[in-house]
Amino acid sequence: MILVEQQMLKLNLRPTLSLNNSHYFLSIKSILFPTAIIYFIAVGFVFAQDCKLNFEGYIIDSDSNLPLEAAVLEVVGTNYNVISSENGYFNFKNLCSEIIEIKVSHINCPDFYAEINLKESRKKNFYLDHKIRSLDEVVLIDEKVDNLSTSAKSYSISGTEKDRYSNSGLAVLLETVSGVNTLSTGTNIAKPVIHGMFGSRVGIIYNGIMLENQQWGQDHAPNVDLNAFEDVKLVKGASVLKYSGRNPGGVIILKSSLPKKIDSLYGKTILNTKSNGAGGGIVSSWVKTYENGTYFRSQGTFKKSGDLSAPRYILSNTGMNENNLSFTFGKNNIDNDLKIFFSYFNTETGILKSSHVGNIGDLLRAIEADEPGVVNEFSYNINYPKQSNEHFTSSVDYTHFINDNKELTFKYSWQRNNRKEFDLRIGDFKNIPSLNLNLSTHSVNSSYTWSNFSNEFINGIFFEVQDNYSTPGTGVKRLIPDYLNTKFGGYFISTLNLNNGLNFGFGLRYEYSSNDVYKYYRNSRWENENYQDRLGKYVIKEVLSQKLIRKKVVFNTFSSNAGFVKKFAKKYSLGIQHNYTERAPNIAEMFSGGLHHSLASIEYGDPFLKKEKTHKVLVDFEKKNGKLNYRINPYLSYSKDYILAQPAGFEQTIRGAFPVWEYSHINSIFKGLDFDFVYQIKDNIRFKNSISWVEAKDYHTKEHLVNIPPLVINNEVQFSLSKFKKFNAIIGNKFVNKQSLFPNNNSLTSVIENGKKIDKIVDISTPPDGYNLFNLNFNWGPYNLVSSNIYFSLSIDNVMNKANRNYLNRLRFYSDEVGRNILFQIKIKH
Amino acid sequence: MFKNIYFKATLLSSVLLFISCDKDDTPEAENEMEVFTKAVIKVTNLSDNSSDTYEFEVEEHDHDHDHGFIAMNQEGEDHGDHTEIELESSSEYKFEITFLNESDPNNVIDMTEEVIEEKDEHHVFYELIGDGISYDTTSGDTLDSDGNPLNLVTKWTTTNATVVDVEAYLIHIPTSKTGTTRDDFGGATDVEIEFEAHVESE
Repeated sequence: MILVEQQMLKLNLRPTLSLNNSHYFLSIKSILFPTAIIYFIAVGFVFAQDCKLNFEGYIIDSDSNLPLEAAVLEVVGTNYNVISSENGYFNFKNLCSEIIEIKVSHINCPDFYAEINLKESRKKNFYLDHKIRSLDEVVLIDEKVDNLSTSAKSYSISGTEKDRYSNSGLAVLLETVSGVNTLSTGTNIAKPVIHGMFGSRVGIIYNGIMLENQQWGQDHAPNVDLNAFEDVKLVKGASVLKYSGRNPGGVIILKSSLPKKIDSLYGKTILNTKSNGAGGGIVSSWVKTYENGTYFRSQGTFKKSGDLSAPRYILSNTGMNENNLSFTFGKNNIDNDLKIFFSYFNTETGILKSSHVGNIGDLLRAIEADEPGVVNEFSYNINYPKQSNEHFTSSVDYTHFINDNKELTFKYSWQRNNRKEFDLRIGDFKNIPSLNLNLSTHSVNSSYTWSNFSNEFINGIFFEVQDNYSTPGTGVKRLIPDYLNTKFGGYFISTLNLNNGLNFGFGLRYEYSSNDVYKYYRNSRWENENYQDRLGKYVIKEVLSQKLIRKKVVFNTFSSNAGFVKKFAKKYSLGIQHNYTERAPNIAEMFSGGLHHSLASIEYGDPFLKKEKTHKVLVDFEKKNGKLNYRINPYLSYSKDYILAQPAGFEQTIRGAFPVWEYSHINSIFKGLDFDFVYQIKDNIRFKNSISWVEAKDYHTKEHLVNIPPLVINNEVQFSLSKFKKFNAIIGNKFVNKQSLFPNNNSLTSVIENGKKIDKIVDISTPPDGYNLFNLNFNWGPYNLVSSNIYFSLSIDNVMNKANRNYLNRLRFYSDEVGRNILFQIKIKH
Repeated sequence: MFKNIYFKATLLSSVLLFISCDKDDTPEAENEMEVFTKAVIKVTNLSDNSSDTYEFEVEEHDHDHDHGFIAMNQEGEDHGDHTEIELESSSEYKFEITFLNESDPNNVIDMTEEVIEEKDEHHVFYELIGDGISYDTTSGDTLDSDGNPLNLVTKWTTTNATVVDVEAYLIHIPTSKTGTTRDDFGGATDVEIEFEAHVESE
């Protein structure tokens, strides 16, 4: 009956088969003729081979959401092909009711195949990843638009760019996007900073799993291998409510591409060698697909590097090793999809030897010295201090396609993370880590998606259990306590495609989180903070001048995203987004207690913190057409009960006086602007520019916040020679301004100078000078090698070998940043 | 649909069971074995072998002012900012410095042993502000592999009446074993204590 109604609508008839007496005789004539026609058509449908079906839709650029013209679509096995029009529209007529295969091709893109079960006339859109760059690689991520954070627009990082950074880490790759910086602890340990926020405020989602690897730590880099994923996307200033509601900074999404349902075997191998650190690595991935929808994907990364060099000296003990493996098995059927995923990440990282200090007097000495205290000859050995991280993941995804519109998914994942930090210790403890944390996270979630041609609704529920415990026997009091965390909740996300190119999205997420914490407090700290009143009833044990409490800390958080994107005049799009994020304090903010060696300071958590509430408004205006393309992204966020560590006095030990930092609440304001533009000067010359600016203040005191990135401007000129198509070159410049907005977190210490005891300022606040770095990149390829394509690339970073210090490097007091690095890469696509 | 619900439910409950069976034991306290909590200086008058012992221990608590030590002398009194070591003029003394870990009062660890075991990675340096007192290496001290004395045992010589501020450091992995100021030695400070040497006239 639905079918008949559809046909009637097409014929502009309305069902008028009412047998109301008063209208009966008058309406017979008016209904008889159309009814007869309908009858014959219906009969024709039933008895004929249903070869009057339409298949139509639009071919759209998934990045800009603008139509793609001149895509060729073909019904495989026939001669029937159509070409998409100026507004991306295509239409196949008179198709039969059967399963057909459509092949979509576009200039510079490999062919894409889609299997369509045509039982009735259908409308379907195809979203192609079509980049401005002369990229020879297009990855079709999904048949639907990735409805990430409702209508928040995302930034994509191209495959070529990602491969270029295959030997660096995720944080360095992300810096190519405006609004993103890195907070580093030496060169090898780097975390992404989005719009001035980092740590627990930035989420990383890999293969649909929220990365749980003690991300609260400033010196805890993400334990994930960017090479295991083809697709890297960034959502700024919003959580992706499907996965979490606690990322006011933004989210990084890593995904593998969906393999095609054909028999094939393909892969990619990248060999990297670099001069700085005399290191390199190899990345290799293979995918085997079958026509029945089964596929296997395996991938491995190996990296090794010795001591890095600053322009004037070797950075002793900055070598690193990394070994990663990932494996995926999947089966895509018409009615359901199954995916099983395993990954293993392992890294050992040396930390600059000179950063080992005892007290604040030692820190002052380092600040005043021009060179690091310890400079040895180059070596591959990784000695203490060092970090050793291991991360293991396994997950199962099952998706059931109820019909064209409805989909039910179920996902289970388990992550196990181990972090060891080794210091320079004495006696029997020389080789025992000072920190040995194990974090095991089980996560179960299920979602139901209803979508049609223009709208999508997702609702889901989730449940998570996380166990954090410190392997006993470190001989150092735990930096964060053991705890068991239970989370559950649900979310609802909707995206509506209204008329005239207007997309509206809304999402809501609720999360219940309960932490069962076992915390040891030193009696002196207990008495100073008067914890007896509020925590006395939780004491379960007293030993060695410490008290052990067991306390349950519960948070209920609600987060929401709402926004719209309007496209107009075929080339402009304007998005406005409001994100409200409630973030529960993390374990370190509430319960940390310990010495941060490289900063010669003691940090304490506050067990009575409240949840942080952030309102963020972002405007995203983009022009994508013609020679000049640009994107402007101003934003403003206000956080009530923003949590951060602030100086809070001193503590005396026999080593000297140590500044104490305690976590507390302030109200904060962040404002900033991201700007990107690309200008195609000529066919073979392109100019790219990006500007990132952010400012953050305490709303009441007006004091600026610490570790906020300064103004960064990136310029790039890309050119290729028209005669020699397989070569292109890029000249780049990165300008980092001196950060002039910073808080005064200095302290005093007394030193003996010229035979007198004087007080000196330990200046950890003043940011270093600004700097300008030049980079070159040359690319050759693809060349044919047997049945593979081979590419060569030569990059020179910091061409002028300029010495500089980076404000967002916590070890900037001890040495300069790395000098020139020459990277040679061979990439083979099988 | 039904299949999915049962499947989910069983998986959920098995995951829950797996987790709840795990963590019910209370974590053991960590005993900090390498922490220095006390420094002791034994001052022996070389002329008559009489000696005094001075203990340096710091109460761990917060201060709002910049710095200031609360050290206790052997009588156990709060002596304000500085401990005073009293010496006679024109005399020679032997200073012996030792280190203890008293985190666990039932198991006091002699950290000086650890320092001596790792003699190449440790050094004691006394920095003096004022004239009239000097110190030198002496026999009975531990030497490292290169023949450098650790200064755990030193000989101090006094001349006229004076008051000299002394800062004593135990340095871990110094970059140099010789020098005249703290900066010359580099490394990381494991212990930093101060006292006033009072030389009384006869």
